[in-house]
This record gives sequence, structure tokens and C-alpha cells, in this order.
Amino acid sequence: MDLIRDCLDKQLVDKHGKPMGRVDGLVVEWATGQQPRVAAVEVGAVTQWRRVHPRLGQWVDNLRRKIGVVRNDPCRIEWDKAVSSAIEVIADVEAEKSGALDWEIWLRKKVILKIPGA
Amino acid sequence: MKKILEISLGIVTSIGGFLEIGSITTAAQAGAEFGYQLLWAIALGGICIIFLVEQGGRLSAVSKHTIPGAIRERFGFNYFLLMFLVVGLVSLLVFTAELGGVCIAIEFATGIRYWWWAVPVGLVVWLLMWKGPFSLIEQGTSLLGLVTISFIVGAIVMHPNWSSVARGALPSLPAHDSARYWFIAVSILGASISPYLYFFYSSGAVEDHWDDSYINTNRVIAASGMSFGSLISIAVLILAALVFPPRGLKVDEYSQLALLLQDAFGHWGFILVTASLGISCLGAALEIALELAYLAAQGFGWNWSKNQRPREEARFSLVYMVVIIIGVVIIAAGLDPLQLTIMSMALTAATLPISIAPFLFLMNDPHYVATYRNGWFSNTVVILIIALASIVALVTIPLQIFGGG
Repeated sequence: MDLIRDCLDKQLVDKHGKPMGRVDGLVVEWATGQQPRVAAVEVGAVTQWRRVHPRLGQWVDNLRRKIGVVRNDPCRIEWDKAVSSAIEVIADVEAEKSGALDWEIWLRKKVILKIPGA
Repeated sequence: MKKILEISLGIVTSIGGFLEIGSITTAAQAGAEFGYQLLWAIALGGICIIFLVEQGGRLSAVSKHTIPGAIRERFGFNYFLLMFLVVGLVSLLVFTAELGGVCIAIEFATGIRYWWWAVPVGLVVWLLMWKGPFSLIEQGTSLLGLVTISFIVGAIVMHPNWSSVARGALPSLPAHDSARYWFIAVSILGASISPYLYFFYSSGAVEDHWDDSYINTNRVIAASGMSFGSLISIAVLILAALVFPPRGLKVDEYSQLALLLQDAFGHWGFILVTASLGISCLGAALEIALELAYLAAQGFGWNWSKNQRPREEARFSLVYMVVIIIGVVIIAAGLDPLQLTIMSMALTAATLPISIAPFLFLMNDPHYVATYRNGWFSNTVVILIIALASIVALVTIPLQIFGGG
């Protein structure tokens, strides 16, 4: 597998096909004397902005801690639970429990559901 | 039979949804100031948009990717972010101009100044998107948008000199106001080659579950719909060339647009222009608000669909709500929709390379389009469009300064 072509930036969905975001980052472990291995995929604004500039990633992370809506950003999905298909990466997790949809859930509860007809 | 129905519906929605505030204004200004001489710009823009829409549809049918999704995958987050910010900002301005267009049409009908209509129109746009189903609304506004065919009928009724019209299809140098001539030409290209047209079309192809059996359907819809749509813009230019110069007008106020069909149909002409402006701008405002939400959701990987309930796609719904609020605030503040339209069309033209250049790579990548890759002809056309868009991007700002006023 070509990690950049076949995994990074692909649509990430949970085991029910629910969108969780895109694969914003890949975590690679490199223990002494061993081959490097992919440990997890990352989803979240901190990883996205870190790709633009590390300082922006730090700034977004500080902002996230102040606001307190997102439990853990970046949200990490273990590599063993991810399968890459032609169109998307499927993670064997529940999207709503993973932390990747914390913003979506907060917006739904605090804003959208308060508007009639939602 | 199903395919024929889909083709018919696709062509009808493309025609009904083609004309909007930008194409009406730029074509009217071109006709008023330079007669038929800028017809070539509409024809050129029409050819470009046919190729881009066809390629956007083909990409989605074969790869099941939308354009923003494929750009994010192929070019990474940083390029996507650049495109998102640039196309998003320009589309926001175009949305505001469309919202202003609806308000102007209501001003024509009621005599009450346009800014008073910003909040009610914004509420209607929001309500239509909030309550959906959007497919029905989209097709409904596009069907009503067929009223814009009255511009073609009007142009025929006015008996223009067809040999002069034909001469206008060939590019020629202006006899006066060169900067202004090229500025309007660039604005026409910006109005014709709107990124929201091919982004929106490709999203529709994914939502309607197109596959490679739709390749020919896509080709027919893109070619026919965009050609007929361009014909309506050409008709507006012809009418403007016949109506405004004898009156010494240059379309520097929106109210002058109401005259476009007056000589052809009398008072009915005024009603038809008002209806065309109101319906086409409402349809475009809905599509652009949705396209901005698509752009964000597809690029960031959120849940998105035009037919889901807002509770199922909170971030998607929030994007179009914020877009509507910003548009309403700008129009309610009294910003001139005509100036906004002219500026947003020029900026659209200036930012075209960012959204068009990725086509050359995506449409030749077997990972996305398998065996349906571009042939040499399509690639040549895309390279020419990118070259044209790059030149346009370079000259837009100087032309805005020297020819925009």
C-alpha cells in the first residue's frame, strides 16, 4: 500500500458507513532496531492545521482546550481497525463514540435541534 | 426510457439554472457598451463550461468522488484549504450578489427599495433549504427558470441584424475604451465559468449514484444544457445592444435591466424580466449556498446530502446558515448589488486557475477515471482553459482598476 496515495486524506467512515471526517494524519511508530510500523490514523482540526504549520496546529489545540467541546483532538483510530477501500477508509468503530464527531454532536444538540423543523 | 427522462430533466434544469445575476449583468453591460462585439466571450465561456461540467460529471460517475473530495485526496489538505478559502470567499460574494438580484426583482415589482427585502428573501432561501427536499426545490426553480427563454424569444422578435450578430462571434479589438472592453470580457468569462456550476453538478452525480453507464448521458446533458444556457446569455447581449444604445444607457443601475424586454413585449416585457431575474437569482442563491456547504463537507469529510434532515448533518447545515446570514447582512446594509456583481464576477475569473488546474491531473489519473481518461483533444482544451484562466487571473486586477468603473 502507498500510504500517502491510498490512505492519507481519504474519507473515513465507521463500521456503519457513517462519515467521520478524512484521514488527516498517520501515526508511525519506530522502535529501536525494528521496522517502522503504522500505529494509527488521525482525524481532527489540530492535525489538519499542523500540516499547514506546526504553530497553527498548536494554536488550534490551545483553542480547543479553552472551548472544551472536543474531548480528544486529534482523534486516533488504531491502524488494526482500519481497512482502505478504493473510495474510503473503513474503521471498525462507532463514529459517535470515537470522539471524531464531538463537534457535530455538540452543534446538533446546542444549535440545530433548537431550531424548529430540524 | 429512464435515461431519456433523466437527460431531458438534466437539460431542462441546466437551461433553467444557467442564467443568474452575473450572466445577465455582464451580458447586458457588454451589449450596451460594445454592441455585439463581445459575443465571442460568451461563446468562449460556454465552450469552457461544457468541457468542465462534462469532466466533473465523468469524474464523479466513474470514481464516485466529488471534485472537492478528489482534490483533497490527490493534492492534500494544504491545496484543498487554499481552494476552499479562495473559492469559498468568491462564492460567498456571488451568493450575496444573487440574493441582491432577488431583492432587486422584488423592488421592480413593489417599488420598495431592495435592502428592505434582504431579511425576508434570506428567510425564504433558508426555509427552502431547511425544510427540503432540495431535489424537488432545485428542479422546481429550474423549471420556473425556463421563463428566461423569453430573452431568446425577445431577441428574435427584435429582428437584429444577424450578420452583425455572427460577426460578434469572432473576437475583435475594440475601437474605444480598451480597458473597459477587456474588463467586461473577463467578467463574462467569470460569470460563464463559475466553479459552483461544475462543483454542484459533480455532487449531484454522486448523490444520484451515477456510474460509468452514465458517461453518454453526462455528455449530452453537459453539452446541451450549457449550450442552450449560453444561448440565453447571448440573447440578453443582443437585446441590450438593441435597447440601451439608442437610449444612451450603459447599465450602470439595476433599474435599467427592466428595459431589456420592453421594446419586444411592452409591459409584459417588464413582468418577464422581473420574473426571470427573481427566479433565476433565487435558484442560483440556493445552489451556491448548497455548493458552499458541499465544498466544506466534502473536503473535510463531514456527513452531507441535499436530502437529509438538518439534525443528521449539523455542520453542513450550519455552513449554509452562516452563508445566508452573511449575505443578508451585506444586502441589508445597502451595498449596491450591481457593484457587488461586477466585483464578484471579476474575482471569480481571477481565481479560476485554482479550481481548474486539478482537472488536468484528475482526469488523466487511472486511479480516479480508470479507462475513461481524457483524450488528447480534451487535454488540449483543459490546457487552453488553464492558460486562458491564468492570463485572466493576471490581468483582472489591473483591468478592475482601469476598466471596472
